[in-house]
Amino acid sequence: MEKRFTLEELLTVRLAHTFRNGEVGFTGLATGKAAATYITNIPLAAMQLARLTHAPDLTILLAGWCVNPDLSALTRLPSSEYGNELLNLPCEAQMTTWPGPWSHRIGEIDFAFCSGVQVDPEGNINCTCIGSHEKPKVALVGPIFLPEHLAVFGREYIMMPHHEKRCFTEQIDHISGVGFPGGRAGRKELGLTGSGPCKIFTPLCIFSFDEDGKIFVESIHPGVTAQDVIDNTGFALGDLSAVPETAAPSDKELALLRNKIDPNRILLG
Amino acid sequence: MERTVKLCSLEEAVSAIPEGARIAFGGFAVYQKPMAAAQQIIRAGIKNLTIVGCVNSIEADMLIGAGCVAAIETSYVGLEKYGLAQNYRRALQNGKLKVVHYPEMLAWDRFRADREGMPFWPVYFLGGNDVARDNPQIVPFTCPVTGKQAWAVPAAKPDVVVIHAWRGDKYGNIQIQERSMLPQYLNVDMARSCKNLIVTVEELADTEEIKKSPHLTLIPAFRTAAVCHVPLGSHPTPTLSCTEEDAAHYEAYVNASADEEAFEAYLDKYIRGTKDFAEYLSLIGETRPKTLEVR
Repeated sequence: MEKRFTLEELLTVRLAHTFRNGEVGFTGLATGKAAATYITNIPLAAMQLARLTHAPDLTILLAGWCVNPDLSALTRLPSSEYGNELLNLPCEAQMTTWPGPWSHRIGEIDFAFCSGVQVDPEGNINCTCIGSHEKPKVALVGPIFLPEHLAVFGREYIMMPHHEKRCFTEQIDHISGVGFPGGRAGRKELGLTGSGPCKIFTPLCIFSFDEDGKIFVESIHPGVTAQDVIDNTGFALGDLSAVPETAAPSDKELALLRNKIDPNRILLG
Repeated sequence: MERTVKLCSLEEAVSAIPEGARIAFGGFAVYQKPMAAAQQIIRAGIKNLTIVGCVNSIEADMLIGAGCVAAIETSYVGLEKYGLAQNYRRALQNGKLKVVHYPEMLAWDRFRADREGMPFWPVYFLGGNDVARDNPQIVPFTCPVTGKQAWAVPAAKPDVVVIHAWRGDKYGNIQIQERSMLPQYLNVDMARSCKNLIVTVEELADTEEIKKSPHLTLIPAFRTAAVCHVPLGSHPTPTLSCTEEDAAHYEAYVNASADEEAFEAYLDKYIRGTKDFAEYLSLIGETRPKTLEVR
């Protein structure tokens, strides 16, 4: 029997339900294709779904600078943040200077999406290096915009295309984006104005953070077992027997995604 | 007395870059990078550079692979959809390069500090972040107004800035495309951060032509040290509304940078083996990208 929805559609709809009307959501583009699906394409589809349902005043900042783009006009994926093709994508406004129409430091970005190679149980995230900073075992791209994302954006969705033990580790090698070191109280002492990570989306489950800032499994995707999640996570998750299944999208939501938002199957494949 | 003509060959402009300089390259990520100038630095054998940047890619990776760079100050070195910057990665992992990290938009603000003559840019959000822990040049202080924890992020202080732009005249008036994006504006901020500015341009225009659209001259001649006419000067990266990226050559670069030996062969063939950028372009030949019409 053919599945009623794909993993990407499931994540998109769950994400869309968490956005509120009037918010400003920010996406960047990524290094590599798997990351692009998770931190750009799924978020864009989710924001547009929210706009067409409960959040008509939500603002999309594509690549941070293209305001409310007409995503259904895409005939192929934008393969770049600032290439010639994006210059002419229909949209309502473009950011052509820095500083420009928005300022993240005063809290004007309500939420955004990021990824990395390691996340710890406090929601700290690493995209800089494995091993020491001075002479790393593996040099990655650098902190890029993660310090800002996790410090001053309203909240952050960590989007992990791979759910493996080496990505979810007790300790990470470089805190490129700050979660809840020492819990929510510890974060407060650091003086960060954004509320930090709110959820982590993976191919197996959705994580969230409790009132102490500790990670927990909020729901497990259909067809995935609690043991799958435990076996692929590098830190203890406790008893997962009462964790609910990730709620399925409705037929109406799937129809909107397939017919209106992504008619050319550019974003969600 | 005649007005100074700043138009010169790229060889001449690059020869003025001193060994060990702090140098900034315009463009952003994989867009509109001054590649002809980066290549000429390799041909001229200028070493021990410190690249001071915001979001770096192939220009930094190529210079690192050619052994011209001692240190880099940046938020990112990568090739976006083409993956990791492999020369950068290898040099760092082998202890041959020093990296000093800054958060992305703060790396940009370092140039804004230079524009305003400020020794640092203040910031309030680095608590708990290893970027601040690992970088002694970021100095913590207590904000004298709010009493909050703050950090002083040092100005970029480049000795030389090199950008690739749309159009200029022989005196050094540089124009930015009317429809532009952030990579073009980073060029402007970097250009205004430093007295020693080298610009390569797609098009050389008569000053009378420039005067028809003075609102596009974001970098007036008094700011410019040298202007060089180098069409396709950002190859293989794109120049907005002028050229597309050369995906085929980008792939060739990525493949060659997979190991040191292959990259040496790449440098010998395309850069050290060509006398100038024009000869490099003729070697690239058919895969060269099409030229666009500037709107």
